[in-house]
Amino acid sequence: MLKFIARRLLTLIPVLLGLSILVFAFVHALPGSPADSLLGERGTDEDQAKIEESLGLDRPLPIQYFFYMRNLLSGDLGTSVSTRRPVTEELGRYFPATVELGVAAMIFAIVLGVPLGFVAAKRYLGLLDNTSLFISLIGISFPVFFLGLLLKYVFAVKLGWLPTIGRVDVTRTFDHPTNFYVIDALVAGNPADLLDVLKHLLLPAIVLGTIPLAIVARITRAATLDVLSEDYVRTARAKGLDPRVVDRRHVLKNALLPVVTVIGLQTGLLLTGAVLTETIFAWPGVGSWYLNAIRFRDYAVLQGATLFFAFVVLMVNLAVDVSYGFLNPRIRYR
Amino acid sequence: MSVAQAGAAELRLEQGASLWTDAFDRFRHNLGAIVGVALILVFVIIAIFAPVIAPFDPNEQVGPLATNPAGPGNGHLFGLDDQGADLFSQIVYGARLSLLVGLVSVGVGLTLGLVLGSVAGYLGGWVDSFIMRVMDVMLPIPSFLLATGLVTILGRGLTQIMIAVGITNVPIFARLLRGTILGQREADYVLAARSVGVPGPRLLMAHILPNSIAPVIVQATLAMATAIIDVAGLSFIGLGPSDPGLPEWGKILSENASRLQQSVHLVFFPGFAIVLSVLGLNLIGDGLRESIDPKLRA
Amino acid sequence: MSLLSVRDLEVKFVTRRATVHAVSGISFDLDAGETLGIVGESGCGKSVSSLAMLGILPKPAGRVTGGEVIFEDQDLLKLPDWQLRSIRGQDVAMIFQDPMTSLNPVLTIGRQLTESLRKHLDMDRKDAEEEAIRLLYRVGIPSAKDRLSDYPHQFSGGMRQRVMIAMAISCKPKILIADEPTTALDVTIQAQILEVLKQLVAEENMALILITHDLGVVAGVCGRTIVMYAGRFVEAASTKELFARPRHPYTLGLLKSVPRLDAARKDKLEPIDGVPRDLTKLFEGCAFAPRCAYATEESRERRPELVETDAPGHFVACWNPVPDADLPRIETIPVPTAREAAG
Repeated sequence: MLKFIARRLLTLIPVLLGLSILVFAFVHALPGSPADSLLGERGTDEDQAKIEESLGLDRPLPIQYFFYMRNLLSGDLGTSVSTRRPVTEELGRYFPATVELGVAAMIFAIVLGVPLGFVAAKRYLGLLDNTSLFISLIGISFPVFFLGLLLKYVFAVKLGWLPTIGRVDVTRTFDHPTNFYVIDALVAGNPADLLDVLKHLLLPAIVLGTIPLAIVARITRAATLDVLSEDYVRTARAKGLDPRVVDRRHVLKNALLPVVTVIGLQTGLLLTGAVLTETIFAWPGVGSWYLNAIRFRDYAVLQGATLFFAFVVLMVNLAVDVSYGFLNPRIRYR
Repeated sequence: MSVAQAGAAELRLEQGASLWTDAFDRFRHNLGAIVGVALILVFVIIAIFAPVIAPFDPNEQVGPLATNPAGPGNGHLFGLDDQGADLFSQIVYGARLSLLVGLVSVGVGLTLGLVLGSVAGYLGGWVDSFIMRVMDVMLPIPSFLLATGLVTILGRGLTQIMIAVGITNVPIFARLLRGTILGQREADYVLAARSVGVPGPRLLMAHILPNSIAPVIVQATLAMATAIIDVAGLSFIGLGPSDPGLPEWGKILSENASRLQQSVHLVFFPGFAIVLSVLGLNLIGDGLRESIDPKLRA
Repeated sequence: MSLLSVRDLEVKFVTRRATVHAVSGISFDLDAGETLGIVGESGCGKSVSSLAMLGILPKPAGRVTGGEVIFEDQDLLKLPDWQLRSIRGQDVAMIFQDPMTSLNPVLTIGRQLTESLRKHLDMDRKDAEEEAIRLLYRVGIPSAKDRLSDYPHQFSGGMRQRVMIAMAISCKPKILIADEPTTALDVTIQAQILEVLKQLVAEENMALILITHDLGVVAGVCGRTIVMYAGRFVEAASTKELFARPRHPYTLGLLKSVPRLDAARKDKLEPIDGVPRDLTKLFEGCAFAPRCAYATEESRERRPELVETDAPGHFVACWNPVPDADLPRIETIPVPTAREAAG
């Protein structure tokens, strides 16, 4: 097993290397330069040259790349041009917000999606099956931002049940040691604070989690259908086992294998959705941060953040592969 | 093979069905697929006959300027926008745009991906490895974010946007085609053709490609749906087509997101236009997938 | 009083496209300790009959449309599923063709073995595991104790089938139905598995229904054999009698189509002409008539029922049974058992 992980980590290195080159190239291919946004329209060419020199942008590209890689390997992702703070610090501020949102969304998707897909498969071609198929199709046809706007309109604006923006009511204050507001609120010990945090989390999580919900439901359904027609399910029935036991021990255990893989692979989707959802609900996460960086040509942030995202996605993929190997004995005992 | 399958297979044999007529037959009976085709047909007709269907020019001011534009009524089916233009006409012309976007971006992605995938799959060796490594680097980046990046480099013209979205599709098609070609290369019928002396390139064109095409068609349909959503998403974050006066659905939506409370129609109608067109494409793609997949569970 | 009595069993598969008449009225009796073989080509309905008897036909397409299956004074077809469940696996067990796909890949075989024991015999985990070890030894798997925590893919094909057999006999069933147990295995392993089955029958007085398309298999194991074609029984007799004097033209065709080691090189193979019946269409008369050399008008119009021939216990469903003159002059070559062959 360890060998498996080691091998996979090794294959990651060339990919990460390739990515760093790609990101570097991409950022430097962006038209305009950070000097533009810093100086505005009145900057002279001299001022621009001075700023670029201070940022090291006048050196030849390969040298820039060298410095970039050197910093990277020592954990320095650069400094944000707009806020003058280290990228790593900003990441530490914004990333937990997005992770919290993403995790909440995935929980929503899994808790609803797996049972839905499973039951739909068991009652193949029945009313529930067709309805859930149709609903999940509609779910993936909705652009995230439209869904977000709609739900916000219905629940927050018209019905007023839920807050419209932010992670927490501005009047509430409690410490944020981890920047995961749910954990922070739990630690602070005030149930009213926790409730408020959860209320703010609910709508964005549902919006972000709708597409994953549809996907998880469909995959679970497909996997369950596959497993239901397998010979070993017939054997289990021939043994006279209770149908619920057959479902749990024989069907689900096998059907969930591909579902686990898919869940892991949703990370990329979640990041994308986060960018859009955060805009609608003014959620202070990496999505909005990234968008601003694009607008202001904040090279350091763009480079650092993109690499970080890609790294996270790759790591999650690795974790998914490993856990799949763990769950599936055929791979475990190679 | 169970008795049921044996009997059904014999039934098909008797009717002289080929792979395609069989798939078409299944597609015809799939309710979702029919609905999808109907939806898309409606949009195609609207797109083609836009000048006839739209009562006004989409950029023409036919009502008052307003911060809270009026909703449906008064001869304006979908209401007005803040510039006083008719929303319905905008939506109608927007259909043209979306269709164009879908077709072109998928066309770009498909062609590039097909070429790369076929070459990689057929030649194998280091060519294969190299191409696939590049694809692997592109894959972990979510397609929308990749499109965002490409657009910021290439610029915000409509063409550039379509190309950018198209490029995000390349790894998927390349992988898909390479996979099917790899599978087919060792297939018995290929070995048989080779043993009779069919030369390489002809083998590829006449034998392998036609059999690999089915999943590609499915993927292309779904990619069109994603393209429409991605372009709308780009508009939403401010990277939409900068060409003035383009009634792109996503652009209309994003420009009016702040007017949600007072003029919800400006969000509602473009949004649902997107949903319905994408839904139609997804229904067709799904229907195709079920028709073609041999492991059909009936 | 027979252990199992099946009368006029009918099974259909109903799909949107067509209805397959898989089994069209079969009847037989099974006594305790008897070994019965059901022989027929793929698609003739032999497996489906057993699935129907146990109530595990693939749903929703498969359904029993007639007949009765009397086991211990109860009609299994009329029992609700929860009652059938205590009979399945405990009184009547079944093993299937492909042991790789018939075992759950994500559970240890120890778990799969103890499942039935704990459900039917109410054993606790420890007792069940000990019994499982004993069962594995019984079917000839060495180092049984260590192998309990192994997974199916860590076993060879023959071993897996032995595990299946161990699972099936764990609750000491009165009837074991073996559906093509050796088809997916090598010939040498085949012999071993059949040996195991024969031993179990002898030691436990367990009745065995052996379903197969391979005549060699029934020759070595079964006391009685029934030949099935297109969902119907066409001939039933003791195995020796069946091989020596096949009265149904289909049985004759089957026997003649088996290539013989002692045939001359230039002798041609003798397949049966024609193709199997399309079971989605109803038809009149004998199922085999279109392919039969002895068919007459009557064969095509009236369906023959099983009737006893002059040899007692030998039944045939035919209007024109094979006359003595056409019987093959085959001496039954005794099939050496694995032990004998090893010397």
